Amino acid sequence: MRMPVAAPEIRIGASQDQRCHPAKGKDMLKIDLPKERPSDWREAMLKKMAEVLDKNRSVRLFLDICVKCGACTDKCQFFLGTGDPKNMPVARADLLRKVYKRHFTRGGKILGRANEAEELDERVLQDWYTYFYQCSECRRCSVFCPYGIDTAEITMAAREIMAAAGIATKYVTEVVAKVYDAGNNLGIWPAAWKDNCAFLEEDLKDTEGLDIKFPVDACGAEVLLVPPSADNFVNTNTMIGYAKMFHAAGISWTTSTYCNEGGNFGLFLNYANLKKVNNRILEAARQLKVKKIYWGE
Amino acid sequence: MITKFLFFYLPYLSLGIFCLGILYRFWRWAKSPVPLRVVVPPAPRSRLGIVRRLVGDALLFPNLFRGDKLLWAGGFLLHAFLWLVILRHLRYFLYPVPGWVAAIQTPGLYAGYLIPLPLAFLLARRLVIDRVLYISILGDYFALVLLLAITVSGVLLKVFSRTYIVDVKALVLGLVHFQPLLADAHWLFSLHFLLVMALLIYFPFGKLMHSGGFILSPTRNQRANFAQRFVNPWDFPVSYNPLNLSSPEKYAQTLMASRQGEVE
Repeated sequence: MRMPVAAPEIRIGASQDQRCHPAKGKDMLKIDLPKERPSDWREAMLKKMAEVLDKNRSVRLFLDICVKCGACTDKCQFFLGTGDPKNMPVARADLLRKVYKRHFTRGGKILGRANEAEELDERVLQDWYTYFYQCSECRRCSVFCPYGIDTAEITMAAREIMAAAGIATKYVTEVVAKVYDAGNNLGIWPAAWKDNCAFLEEDLKDTEGLDIKFPVDACGAEVLLVPPSADNFVNTNTMIGYAKMFHAAGISWTTSTYCNEGGNFGLFLNYANLKKVNNRILEAARQLKVKKIYWGE
Repeated sequence: MITKFLFFYLPYLSLGIFCLGILYRFWRWAKSPVPLRVVVPPAPRSRLGIVRRLVGDALLFPNLFRGDKLLWAGGFLLHAFLWLVILRHLRYFLYPVPGWVAAIQTPGLYAGYLIPLPLAFLLARRLVIDRVLYISILGDYFALVLLLAITVSGVLLKVFSRTYIVDVKALVLGLVHFQPLLADAHWLFSLHFLLVMALLIYFPFGKLMHSGGFILSPTRNQRANFAQRFVNPWDFPVSYNPLNLSSPEKYAQTLMASRQGEVE
């Protein structure tokens, strides 16, 4: 029997101090973002927000048509876990909506705070940074919304806007910067990747007596395998599993030292980096002249 | 003079704002492109399936049913009653009255008597559930109170004043045929009529636009045809940053070098 999780009572500000570490300037520069927050951050963010609204129908539509019925309020695991009302999907979107109303709608300019419109100021920005990074973009709320309003779209928009003003988290930016240096999230350098593969070959021979190859950068293979990089490093049984499977199926395969990461942290940052990380898979596939891409994660 | 403005010019004005306002809102949404496929599964693969999904969304609110049964019941009853009441009111606009409008007269009447109940439930819910109270804003209360005022005044009109139907029909048909035919109406009728004008004017600017806007919702109106390429209209090429240690050129050199190694 499925047991429903009872919604907690709201506790205002319960998770307001749980903030991610801010990004480091050196990582920001590597991923084409401003090194730090400029003095005109507000203008930079509003300019980006106008662009995001004009480029994404979903964002403008979702901000406009929400009727605040409350069906999503007890569906977000971040709310269920913390009780902080700003973690309810609708309230998370409200953080963006109040700035949208104030700066991009006539009604908001006239009615102001009476109808939740609010100026983008330091306090609102702190809320954005806190709560838009307490969303995992899982989209569970969109399954229960009668209009399919997807808070992931809202969260991605807010992070895109913040990133344009040099505001992002250390974890995400560091990982994306690592991909552009080493080819994967963990920062496994090409030499280490090859060495790990050679090690797994030996290990398999020693333990199971199997003679199975772990090809790296093999041009002309049929399949490019893009695993999560942890499979080469921590979850090696999974990597061994791939090799056995390809061996048994008689399919020639390879991994690439240019792109050996199936996870894309650009998703948690902005469109440009999302695309750039994904593009590495295509680039590796083209250069290795493979026919198919098998993409894990 | 005021009577002529309120009961002759105002209806055209509010109907104009209603129609143009809705067109403007749709134009504004449609102007922004949809860059990515963000459909929420399980989604249909065919266009017909999408039509079916949207019609289902509009009539039955399946997502709401999954999430909150009580809210679904309140929302569903409100919308069902609203449709019946609106369709029943067609008898004041059409002459002769079509058979199907005459046929829903009785259910329409009962829907009219009952419609304040789901409205009151939704209002009470906003005030009682702490989560919903937290997210509710002026616009939410305004829409509910306005609808409550319209429906309650309508019920009172039916029960107490018994407006002379011929006068009402003359007024409305006068509007339909662009001829002012003003009669002395009961104050309850005037209130009911003017509140509806207020609703028409408010409709395009607030949350009530959910009624049409959901059709454009990309998570609901896209198909799950993942084998087809989805083109982002504002896509841009990838740029490379000299600060990054790996690049396509460097990788090509690496591959070249290892190939030469194999030959040797």
